[in-house]
Amino acid sequence: MKTATKRQTVLWSVLALTGVFAVSLGVTLAQAQPPETKAPQKKLTGAELYAINCNRCHPERYPTEFTASQWKTIMLEMRVRANLPAKQANEILKYLQEDAGGN
Amino acid sequence: MKKSTRILSAAAACTILGIALPQPASAAVSDDDFNALKNTVEQMSQQMQEFQKTHQQDQQQIQQLQQQLGETQNLATNAVEKADAVALAQANSPRSALHNFTMVGDAEVQYGQAKGQFGTFSLADFAPIFLFRANDNILFEAGFDVTLQNGSASGTTSTGVPYTHDSGYSTTVNLSFAQMDYLINDYMTSVSGLMLLPLGTYSERSAGWLNKIPDDPLAIDFLPGAGVGTQLRGGVPVGESGQSVSYAAYVVNGPSSTDGTANATTVDGNGNTVPNLDLGGNVGVQNSGNNANLNSEPSVGGRIGWFFPLKPHYDVELGVSGQSGHWSGNYLWSALVVDAAVHITPYFEAKGEYINTWQETTDMGSIQPGGWFVQTSYKLAGFDFDAPIVNDLELVERYDYANNAMGSTTDRFTTGAIYYITNTLLLEGDYEWFMNHGLNANGYPVSQFIVQLSYGF
Repeated sequence: MKTATKRQTVLWSVLALTGVFAVSLGVTLAQAQPPETKAPQKKLTGAELYAINCNRCHPERYPTEFTASQWKTIMLEMRVRANLPAKQANEILKYLQEDAGGN
Repeated sequence: MKKSTRILSAAAACTILGIALPQPASAAVSDDDFNALKNTVEQMSQQMQEFQKTHQQDQQQIQQLQQQLGETQNLATNAVEKADAVALAQANSPRSALHNFTMVGDAEVQYGQAKGQFGTFSLADFAPIFLFRANDNILFEAGFDVTLQNGSASGTTSTGVPYTHDSGYSTTVNLSFAQMDYLINDYMTSVSGLMLLPLGTYSERSAGWLNKIPDDPLAIDFLPGAGVGTQLRGGVPVGESGQSVSYAAYVVNGPSSTDGTANATTVDGNGNTVPNLDLGGNVGVQNSGNNANLNSEPSVGGRIGWFFPLKPHYDVELGVSGQSGHWSGNYLWSALVVDAAVHITPYFEAKGEYINTWQETTDMGSIQPGGWFVQTSYKLAGFDFDAPIVNDLELVERYDYANNAMGSTTDRFTTGAIYYITNTLLLEGDYEWFMNHGLNANGYPVSQFIVQLSYGF
């Protein structure tokens, strides 16, 4: 039992350290570009964010497959399921609703 | 105004000119000339009075118009304020008429043949997900799995010969998840109910039409797919390149024991020795009326992930997740999962998970069931052949390993292909080779062939 408890402690320590490492690495890489090559980042469009986020889990769904109202519901679910940041989810929703199917 | 000024100026100039000019001594003014000049001056005076009158009327009209403009502006401002107030009230109202009901999900039909057995249509599955958007911040979602279950039968014939064969079928309806999502703010969502657990990413992305191979990696069986409890989760953007850090932290009832003891194994109704860990049954009220929860305290878990896209279809995702809590009495069950996924071009994908669990038992001490899988796929459209059917094919390979820590380990190699009939209608086929070591308690075959038609809707 003591050995197992010790393993629990080690497990959670590894989890915590890995979490801190992941966040640090992410933030570092985001800001680590050398100044001379750091061009101002243009804001990604809804179509680009769709291609970045959605296709990594499932085949492409076409905007015309659902109505604008259905896309709103589906994107709410996807925002939760895929942990999408709110602004990105909203941009993707706008892109999908622009060419959404009719009622 | 200008006209009257000019006329006045002209009149004044004429008068001054008349006074200033020296009277020619020899030219006397006649009565006719004087009268004509007098008439002219009288006409000009009359015109001046008319111009002054017109000017006053214009001034009055301008004042009236200015007053009307002010009233119109007030009306417009009030209308905007009222519209904003209505929009705010609708957004905040718990009964706003913004709700919407939508059904998505997937369906599969599967044919399989294990070596040494007859081929059979082994699965018919309908898995709808019902989504109900109460308003912009609240979503209810419930996923079901409706499958055919064969009715196995055994006994003795009238001539005394024992038999075992399949008899009839039944339909099973399984509640995969049922949860309420409340979006607290841009970075945090509260999830409550029967939730898919973020232990790795496979359990949340394993719908039939998402999974590129018809069956699950072996080691996934060591993890609970869902749990009853509550969770906080969300994503935080890093920069403007699409990069994000995601997190999830949850509390659930956790796993339980099939027979109520903390032994590693138990015996099922067919007399087979099976693992005693019950990953999904620790919920609800038993027939006796007692709470089914055998744990003295719930399990806690979570995942933290990092998603780094270079550009569309070029990205890396890394995550680490875990769960820990009592599974029977004060005996602990814990899990650690490391997941990774890479996309290079729209055609190539590689992903995998490492899974390790720790289970304290009374009879075998602490055991560590676990395993891993690596899966790669490539869409032949990347070669840009001038052949439509080839361009719609994707090749898939997987290697996975499982160790049940009770004397059985299995390696499996899977190779197959997907034909995309449409973007959501997939024909998948694969062949699997098993390398069983030890007891093969799970009864894996030597090899098997599976074909599956999947549809996502």
